[in-house]
Amino acid sequence: MAYLLHRLLTDAAARQPRRPAIAASGCVLTYQELDQLSNKVARALLRLGVSPGDRVGVLAPKSAASVIGIYGALKAGACYVPLDPKAPDQRLSYVAADSGMTVIIADEARAPHAAALASRVRQARGVLVAGVPGSQDGAQAGPSTDQGAAVLPWSAVAAESAAPLPDHAIETDLAYILYTSGSTGMPKGVMISHRNSLSFVEWSAAAAGLSDRDRVCSPAPLHFDLSVFDLFASCQAAACLCVLPEGAATFPVSIARWLETERISVWYSVPSVLTLLACYGGLQQFDLAHVRTVIFAGEVFPPRYLAKLMTGLPHPRYLNWYGPTETNVCTAFEVPPGSAGAGPVPIGKACANTEVFGITGEGRQVSLPGEIGELYVRGPSLMRGYWGQPAKTREVLVASPFRAEYEEPVYRTGDLVTLDQAGNYLYLGRRDTMVKIRGYRVELGEVEAALYRHPAIREAAVVPVPDELLGNRLRAVVTADEPGSLGRQSVLDHCRQWLPSYMVPDLVEIRQALPRTSTGKVDRAGLASE
Amino acid sequence: METIIKDYISQELVRDPELLPLADEASLLDSGILDSLSLLQLVVFLEERFAITVGDADLLPENFASVNTICAYLRAREPAKQAAHG
Repeated sequence: MAYLLHRLLTDAAARQPRRPAIAASGCVLTYQELDQLSNKVARALLRLGVSPGDRVGVLAPKSAASVIGIYGALKAGACYVPLDPKAPDQRLSYVAADSGMTVIIADEARAPHAAALASRVRQARGVLVAGVPGSQDGAQAGPSTDQGAAVLPWSAVAAESAAPLPDHAIETDLAYILYTSGSTGMPKGVMISHRNSLSFVEWSAAAAGLSDRDRVCSPAPLHFDLSVFDLFASCQAAACLCVLPEGAATFPVSIARWLETERISVWYSVPSVLTLLACYGGLQQFDLAHVRTVIFAGEVFPPRYLAKLMTGLPHPRYLNWYGPTETNVCTAFEVPPGSAGAGPVPIGKACANTEVFGITGEGRQVSLPGEIGELYVRGPSLMRGYWGQPAKTREVLVASPFRAEYEEPVYRTGDLVTLDQAGNYLYLGRRDTMVKIRGYRVELGEVEAALYRHPAIREAAVVPVPDELLGNRLRAVVTADEPGSLGRQSVLDHCRQWLPSYMVPDLVEIRQALPRTSTGKVDRAGLASE
Repeated sequence: METIIKDYISQELVRDPELLPLADEASLLDSGILDSLSLLQLVVFLEERFAITVGDADLLPENFASVNTICAYLRAREPAKQAAHG
C-alpha cells in the first residue's frame, strides 16, 4: 500500500499506463505521461536546490500543468502550497513569505507574476514554469533581475530525464499546506502530511466507489481542500481527473452541457454550485445518465434546493461529506432517495479509521438525540498543526478528554452538533465567529483586521447576513477617524487589496459610532439583528 | 441602457479596481468579473430594472460576454422597452 501521495501516481502508471489521468482544456495526459512529466519537474526542482521538506508554491488554476507541478513537487520531497491566482497580491505575498517558499511553480501565463512574488521572499531561488508537451516558451529565461526572480522555462524542465526518482520523503512529512482564514488577521497554514492525506484519499476513493472507468470533476480550486479528492483519490483508482473550464463554470447551463459532453460520472463541490445547477442548469435538457455519484461538502445544503436537485437528477447517489481542512473529511452521510427536503441533511457518522464525538458544555459526551456539544475528531487524518504557529495549534489539537493513559491529540472543530434518532450527527452552527461563504471559511476577525488597516477607519465590526445561495454575505459597519473623511468605495477598494473576493464585505455602512453592550463591547448581536 | 448596466456592474460586481473604467466591449468573462454567483446577481438586477424574465436557456456566454452583448440580448428580447430605457 502506498505511504506517499505521489506513489499513487507511479502505481497507477504501472497498472494503467495508457488510461487518461487528466483531461483539461482539450489536453489529455495518460498516467504514463503524467508520471514521466512530473519526474522531469522533480528533477528540475532538485537541480534548483529544492531539499526535502521545502515549501514549493503553485500559482496556477487547476490544469494539466499545475497537476504535473504538484506531483513533481511531491516527488522532490517538497510540500506544495497552492497560491490562489485570484487572490490579491498582498495576501499571496504573505503566504509566500510565511511558508518560506523556495520555488514557485507557475504556468506560462503566470510566470511573470510568480517571479515578482518570488523576488519578495528571502528564501526563494526562482520560478519553475510548468507546461505540457507542445507548450510554447514565452517566459523570459535567465538570471534574477530587479523585477523578479530567476525563471526556469518549460523547455529546460522538459529536457530533464523522465526516469523514476528515489523517494525523498516519509509518510509523516508534509505533503501540502493549505492556507485558510485566520481570526487574528492573517491566513494560517494547515499542515497536512502524506499519511494525513492518504487516510482521507483511501477512504474517499472507496466511499465514492471510484474505478478506472470514472471521470471525476471537482470545480474547487487547488487552495480549497475539496481539490484533494480529484487530485489524489482519482489517481488511487486510476480514474480521469476532468477540469471544468473556467468559462463554463460561470453559467449553470454550460456546466450541465459540459457534464454531458465530458461524460462526468463523479462530481464533488460545495452545495452552492449544485443549487445553481438545480435552479438554472436546465438539467432536463441534457443526458446526464452517466453521473452516478454527487458529493457535496463545505457548507450546509439548503434542504429545498437539495430536494430540487434530487428531483431534477434522481438517479445518482448523493453523499454529504463533512470535515474542516484540519481533519480532511471526518464524517459522511448518504442521502436516501426521496428523503431530501424534510429537514437539515445530517453530516452523518464517522468515516472509517476516524472517531468523532460531541462534548457538552459540562464536559459530558453527547450520547442522546437533542444533546448539544462541540464536535471533536481523532484519527490519522488530523493535520500536523498550523505552520509556524505552535501556540495556535495547541488551542485546537488538545489531549483527549477520555484517555488519560497516553497522549493522543484530538481536534476541536468549534462546530456545534447534536445527534438524530438514527445516531447521525447534525451540524448546528459555530461556537465562534467563523462563517462560511460559498464553502470558504471566513473568520470575521480577519475581515475586521483588514478594515483596521485602512488609514481613515477608527472602528470596524463585521457581521454575517445569512443568504441561502451564498451561505452568508458580509456586512461591515465602520466609523471614521474624522467625520466625512471616509467613503464606501474607498473601504471596498481597500478590502480588495487585502482580501480574496469572497471575503470582501457586500455591504458597507459608515456610522458615527458603533452600538455598545452594557460592558462597553461592540454589540455584534445587536448589529446582526438590525 | 449601456450606462445603466455598466454602472451597476462597475459598482456592484467589479472586485478588482484595475478593471475600471469598464469598456462596453470589455469581456466580463475573461476578466473574472462574472462568475456563477455575480451572474445571478446581474440577472436579478436586469429582471427588476427592465421588467423581463431571463430564462435558464438564455444564461449563456454569448449573451453575457460584455456590456454590448447584454444590451443586444435585451434589445432582441424586448424591442418595445428599448425606447423607454435606451
